[in-house]
This record gives sequence, C-alpha cells and structure tokens, in this order.
Amino acid sequence: MTLVIRAWVDGLRRVATAPMLWLGVYGLTLAATLPMGYVLHQSITMHLGASTVSTSVAEGFDTGWWGEYQQAGSGIARTLVPEVIGFAAVLANLSSVADGELPRGAVAGLAVVYIAVWAFLVGGIIDRFARQRRVSSAGFFAACGVYFWRFTRLALLIGLTYWVLFAVVHPWLFGDLYTAMTIDTTAERNAAMVQFSLYGVFGGLLAAVTLIFDYAKIRAVVEDRRSMIGAVAASLRFVRRRLAAVIGLYFLNVLLFAAVLLTYAISAPGAGTTGTTVWLGFGIGQAYVAARLFTKLSFYASQTAYFQGELAHARYVARPQPQWPMSPMAEAISTPPDES
Amino acid sequence: MTANKTHPIRATNRRFQFWTRNGAATIALVGMWFTTPAAQPARSPRNANYSIDATLDHAERLLTGREVVTWRNISQLTTSELRFHLYYNAWRNTQSTWMRERAFGRSLDLHHRRESDWGWIDVTRLVLIGAGDDLPIDLTGEATFIAPDDNNPNDQTVLAVPLPAPVSPGETINVEIEWTSKVPRTFARTGTIGDYYFIAQWFPKIGVLEQGGWNCHQFHTATNFFADYGVYDVRLTVPNGWVLGATGREQSVTDNGDGTATHHYYAEDVHDFAWTTSRDFVDLRSRFEHPDLGDVDIRLLLQPEHRDQAERHFNATRQTFNYFGDWFGAYPYDHVTVVDPAWQSNSGGMEYPTLFTAGTRWLAPTTTNGPEEVTVHEAGHQFFYGVIGNNEVEHAWLDEGLNTFATARAIDQYFPHYWERRFFGTFIPWAFTDIPWSRAIDGSRLARYRSDARMDIQATPTFRYWPGSMFSTAYYKTTLWLHTLERYLGWPTLQRGMSTYYDRWQFAHPKPQDFFDTISEAADMDLRWFFDQVHGDSAIFDYGIAQLTSRDTAGRGFFDGAFRDQGSSSTFETTVVVRRYGDGIFPVDIVVEFADGHRERREWNGRSQWTVLRFEHATKATSAVVDPNRVLLLDVNYTNNSRTTTPRADAAATKWTLTWIVWLQDLLMTSAFII
Repeated sequence: MTLVIRAWVDGLRRVATAPMLWLGVYGLTLAATLPMGYVLHQSITMHLGASTVSTSVAEGFDTGWWGEYQQAGSGIARTLVPEVIGFAAVLANLSSVADGELPRGAVAGLAVVYIAVWAFLVGGIIDRFARQRRVSSAGFFAACGVYFWRFTRLALLIGLTYWVLFAVVHPWLFGDLYTAMTIDTTAERNAAMVQFSLYGVFGGLLAAVTLIFDYAKIRAVVEDRRSMIGAVAASLRFVRRRLAAVIGLYFLNVLLFAAVLLTYAISAPGAGTTGTTVWLGFGIGQAYVAARLFTKLSFYASQTAYFQGELAHARYVARPQPQWPMSPMAEAISTPPDES
Repeated sequence: MTANKTHPIRATNRRFQFWTRNGAATIALVGMWFTTPAAQPARSPRNANYSIDATLDHAERLLTGREVVTWRNISQLTTSELRFHLYYNAWRNTQSTWMRERAFGRSLDLHHRRESDWGWIDVTRLVLIGAGDDLPIDLTGEATFIAPDDNNPNDQTVLAVPLPAPVSPGETINVEIEWTSKVPRTFARTGTIGDYYFIAQWFPKIGVLEQGGWNCHQFHTATNFFADYGVYDVRLTVPNGWVLGATGREQSVTDNGDGTATHHYYAEDVHDFAWTTSRDFVDLRSRFEHPDLGDVDIRLLLQPEHRDQAERHFNATRQTFNYFGDWFGAYPYDHVTVVDPAWQSNSGGMEYPTLFTAGTRWLAPTTTNGPEEVTVHEAGHQFFYGVIGNNEVEHAWLDEGLNTFATARAIDQYFPHYWERRFFGTFIPWAFTDIPWSRAIDGSRLARYRSDARMDIQATPTFRYWPGSMFSTAYYKTTLWLHTLERYLGWPTLQRGMSTYYDRWQFAHPKPQDFFDTISEAADMDLRWFFDQVHGDSAIFDYGIAQLTSRDTAGRGFFDGAFRDQGSSSTFETTVVVRRYGDGIFPVDIVVEFADGHRERREWNGRSQWTVLRFEHATKATSAVVDPNRVLLLDVNYTNNSRTTTPRADAAATKWTLTWIVWLQDLLMTSAFII
C-alpha cells in the first residue's frame, strides 16, 4: 500500500513539475472549443439582433427566447441547452457516457479530432513523466512523433475494444439485461438500483480496459516497445500480477477526480448575469477544466511512476535506443533516480 | 307527459334510480341484486346507469364481469340499435385502429409485446331484460362490430346491437351483459404490472345518443372518452387483503372466505368508473375543508417508495379544490381518490370521476416539478371532464385545454419551482435554481405549440388530429389562447365567463360554441374574430418591429420655393415600422421609449400587413416594442417584437458562449477518457 501511495504522490509531483505540459493540454482543450464558440456567438448575436430581449438573455436564462432560438437554429445552436449551465454540464456529459449516448454533429467531429490529438500527445506525455526532467518542445514533439504510429496501431485495438463495449456490451447491459431484470418491477427505487449496479459493472469494465491500455502505453514508452499487441500482453501480465496495487492506484486517482468534481459542484456558476460575473464564472470553469486535466495527467504520471518503481530494470527493456529520443528506461539506467 | 316511459317490450324492471321526463327523480329499486345506499338528489340526467359485478383472477389476469345497463333515451331520436364501447379490444392485436394510429408518429414499441401483455374483451352474453313475465331476449348473436370512424374491419372497439323494437325518446331499456376481459400490460393507462392493477375503460359502456345519432367512436390513440352520466353500483372481487380504490365511495368489504374479498362501490352522477387494486398501496386519508366550497375527503393510495411525498399529493389536491373552487365553482362530490401509480405501470396522469392517477418519481426534489403539476392537473379534471362532461373524443381541448390553463394558473399561485433535467437513466434529478418555471412559457408549453402550430385546426374532431401533435393542438394552444384572453379581457372577466360556463354546463355535454358564447357573454363583446382564428383556423400570430429610426426634423431642400439647409433642430422624428409576419390578426399596442425616458403608446388593430408610426420628440427613440405586455402569448416569435438602439446581443452572446465553452471542454475531456 505504501508503494501505491508513494507512486500516486510521485505522480502528482511529476505532473506538478511539468507545468508547461499541463498548460499545453489546457491550452489545447480551450483552443479546440474556440472556433465553435465563435460560431455560437455569431449565431446568438444574429438571432437576438437589436431586440430588447437581449437584456433578459444577458441577465439570466430567458426560457421564451431559448425556445425560439432552438427552433430557429440548427447544428451547434441546438446544443445550447440548460444542461450547459454550471455543474449540470458535468452531469450531462457523464450521464451521456454512462447511458451510451454519443455526441452528434459537429461536436462529435470535434471530439474525434480532440481524441486523435491526445493520441498523438500521449506518447510524449508519458515520455516526459517517465524521464522526470524538462524536455524541449522539439524533444517532446519528437517523442510524440516516435510513438504516434505505434499508438495509432494501439488505437485500433483501443477503438475496437471500446466499440465492443459501447456497441455490444452497453446495449446488452442496459437494454436486454436491464429490461429482463426490471420488466415487471413496480418500484422505481429497485429499478434505479439495478441501473446503478449496471453502471458499476460497465464502469468497472471501462476502468479495467483503461487500466490495461494505460499500462500498455506506459510499457510501450518506457520499454520502447514496437509491438502494441506485445505491449498489451505485457500490460495484462503486469496488471494481473499486481492487481490490488494497480486497482488501488487507479482508485486513488478516481478519488482525486471525484474531489475535483465535488469542488466544482460546490463552486460552479449558474446562469449568472453579464460583465464581471460572467468572466468570474468562466474563470471558475477554466479552473475546473485545468484541475480535471491535472487529474487526467496524474493517471498517466502515477501509473508510470508505479511501473518504473516496479520494473525499472534493464532486462525489461525491449529495445533501448541510445539516440534521441532516448527511451526513459535507458535514461533511467544511465541516470539513477537519485541523481535526476 | 310526466310518467316514466318504458320500452314496450322490456323495460319496467328497473333496478335503478332514473330520470323522468319532467325532471323528477324516481327511485325504483325493484328486484335488486344489490342494496344501494340512499340516493342523493340527482344532479345529472342519470340516463346511463350500471350495476356491475366483476371478479379479478390475478393468476390469469382475467376479469369476468356481469353488468346491467339501464339506459334511458334522452335524445329526440328514436333508435333501433344500441352501441357499446369495448375499449379493451384496442389491444387485441396490431390491426386495431388504436394500434395503427399509435404507430403514426411514434415507435412500434407496443407492437412487440409479449403474448401475455395483450388484452381484449369478449362479450359472452347480451340480453334484453324483460318486464314482468316477459322473457329475456338474447341478442348475443345479433351483435356486430362496427367501425364508424374509419371502416377498419379489424377494429372491434364498438359493438352494435340491433334491437327487436326501437327505443323512443324518454323510454328506458335494460340490458344485461356478461363478458370476460384479459387485462393487458398497460396500454393507454389501463392494465396491470406485477401486483398492481389500474382498470379503466374495462366494461361494455354504452355510447351517447345525440341528435345526429349514436356518438360512439372507436378507440383512437389520441383521444379520451365520452359518456352519459349515471349511477354506478359496482362490486369488485379481488384477492383478499389487497387495497382497492375506485370511483365513488366504498360501501362495504366482504371477505368471501376463499381468499378473495368483494368491495362494493357506489357513485352517483358520474360518467365513468375506474378502479385500482394492489397489495402494495399505502392507504392514507386527509381532508379538504372550506367554509364555502364544502369539505372533501381525500384518499391517497400511495406507492411505499413515495411515502415521504404524501403531503405533497394531499396539498396539491387541496390547492386544486381551493383554487378551482374559488375560480370556477365548488367540487360537487364529497370525496376523491388519488392514486399514485406503480413504476412502469404507465397509468399515471389520468382522470376518472372522483378518482385520478397522479405520478411522481422516487427522487423528486421539492424545488422542481414533482407530483404537484400532474396532481393539480388531474384533480382539475374533476372540474373540466368530471363535472363538465364535454365530448373528449371530438373536443378534447374543452377539458384538456381549459384544465391545462387552470393548472398552470394554480401552480403559478402556490408552487413556484424551477426547471429540472434528469440524468443517468432519468433517475437522478437536477434542479436549475436560476431558471424559474414560468406560467406563460412553461405552463403552456409554448415551444411545443410553436413547432406544431400548423399541424391541425383545433376545430377538427380530436380523434382526427395527427396523434403526434394532439397535445400541442388541444392542450397547449388552448392554454395559450385562454391566457391571451386573460391578458386581453382581464382575469375578472375571463373568470366570470369560465365560472358561468362551469355553472351552466355542469353534468351536461357542452360543445365548443357553448363555451365561446359564455365567454363572449361575460366579456360583453363579440369574440368570434378571436375564436375563429384560434379554434377555427391554424393561424400563426407573429408581430414584429421591422424598423426603428430617429432623424432630426430639420429639413434640407426647397422650401417655399427656396433651397434651405436647416442644419439641426430641437426635435427628432421617429419612424417605427410594425409588421404582421403571420396570418393571425390581433390588436396590439406599440410602445416607443425615448432617450429622456419619455414613453409613448399607440394602439394598432393589427389587420394590415404593416403600419408606420411616426413620433416627434425632443430626443431620439431608444426602443420600440410591439405588444410590450405580451398579451398575445400565441406570438410565435417574441424576439422580433422589439428593437433597441442599445442592444445587448453581444453581451448576451458572450455570456452564453463562455458558459457553453466550459460545457464543450467538459464534453471533450469526458470523451477523451478512452485515450
């Protein structure tokens, strides 16, 4: 347990000591939304025009105007719903995943691009956390490039797995199985318990899959593995042999994630008015986004730390590369941790 | 002619109180199957009376029943046949009119039900009961299914029974019917799930004979019901120990010693009878007390998981009787039963005489619309449906629309609450505490109406509405135009009209014109121009400010034969162009506000396609608004009703864009959990 906590704390430290990385993914997450935000801004401005209704829209959530805007608009305009306000946004998005509802239209396209960019960056991110030292932008992106094609291959496996989970397992769990278990249930409480239990099952499957692929990515980077099937197999072996520890570490990160959500639930702004309060609310929202990205990075960092703590030995290195980008494992061997 | 007329062949063995031609009530309890309680003075014609004895076989989900219908012809027509509704046959198979219509605008989910989930009703015996020594005449073999609405040969929801001799106006006839029903998994809010039964439209029910003939429509997916008033004396046998609630008051419960118990219910001056039974109900009582409106015993049959919401149900019911009673008139019965339906029973939110189903959720925050709105609405139907017995099949808006309007008004008075959304399979509620529920917008579902405004003309018989937009046309459009009338005429005038209508048409079958006449009478003005548009047409209302300009009145050009440039003056001419974008016409006000705070109001009859208003004032205009008080709630686009020289569109857009960006960021991060 001590090792797990130490790895987790070490992971937090590694994220905290890589502020540019954190800032970078935050910038990416903000920048990704700006073009569509601009489109939405234009759409709202155009719809309101010179109407005095703009005052009530600015001062609160004008349900009358919103109904008109929804009917007149299409595409992105249709995504401006009450659920975007404050913590409801978090609940709505988590609920969508839990209920297997995928984003649609342009938002779905953006999500795909965003995931693809993360797939590109994740090699460099793990590399950075594994090395535990500053790397130049060029070095970071070089590492991203080195692992990109490997992770593209891995992404096929990941995509296939998640497709099975969302297209086959989820409908079966929440369609066939849920229906079979609740078809004659006359108490909502009982049906809710079934639903929540199935969320637990599906969440567990998602966590297990995420865990295995996380360690596959980590092993691919740290051990400079070329075969992604081999990396997944190695990850499975690693997880199986240290099941309690990796679950414990994952759980600590989930707790951190929950703490971030709880904090945002308490502090999230409402519909608000205009002026300073809007920007204050946006600031709180950005703080939440940054905290959540920190949490995402802490998953990678702490799992990398744990893996390195467990298997930081030359014989586990698949193929160390002496030249840049030097594999973190090779670098760790040549530079003992206490000297880094 | 003051004596009761009876059918020449078989009508004297009357078991029930019935209405005489001179209006006097007579009680003739001859050859009784049952002992009925002392009858109250009749408030209705009581021309369709039922004595029903039914037994529920829980294991097989079968209902076997026998009824005697004592029907008196209160029309001016002589009829040579009787017509009965057999609603349960709507769920015999997928070929019924109800099932076909339901597939129009919705999914085919009900088409794939398990074998055990379907339902039907088979009439096994139908006889005319003779008078004196006359033998009963068995007409079972004579009865045929008819489909007067669509000629669907596979629809079996209307049974026509030719009579050996016609029934003249004022005559009474007794018919004994035996039947067996398979209780389905709930369709149309009647059926069963687990140990819960909600049984409505379950017995052969006679149609209404009107001047145009029998009004006995097939069962349609978008409509409710229509029947004459009468007395119901009903004995229901169900498993012993189960709680049972029904229309009317319980007279007795008899333990039959075979694991069953028979519950005896009796109701007067009602036009339907529904009941429910379950072993799980929590049976609670409360009371509405009012010095002027009378007291009402409230019985609440609650699901155990909603025990903490009991008072919310009671309070909503009491508030309804209080507000509706105050506005329209007293609830005339001294009892009501509120049924909290079982989860997944799909029987919630439905009205029956002196009994209704509410509906709530396991998690129902007090700040959001929990059981309150549906309870108020269904309790409100005791007035507009129960007491005012309009034809719901043809003019559903007369009860649904009036009641939705009054519901929103009552909710607005006593239950301020907020918008709610539900997440995680809809089990987890979330209250938006900065989005208050609005009577004008949310209470009348303006957004729903807007998208369906052209679907149907309200005057179309309801059963011919497009099923997918029936709510918009019958419920929400009516609510909007009534609320518009409230703002146009003033509440005291509309209230006077509605209370007159309530008083005048109690226990009768009013038609739309009766309502229009009553409101026009109360307003002391001819409102045909309005009703013709909102009821007789699908007109769209949309007024807007097309242009707002202020110019210096100083002129430039040739004046009095000489060229002059007057430079600037101390006054400005403001021009406002107001347009009628829709085809609906309504008189509107236009208010123009000037930079010094001065306001000017003009009236426009709204008839032409556009009008230009000119104002001269010392300062420029800052805004112009057509219909500034939003009297015309039917206006489908209120955003274009105004223009200002200082719009805040950019500020509003910035605010909502920033809010939306955080949501989008969260969505992206949530999606990226897979990598």
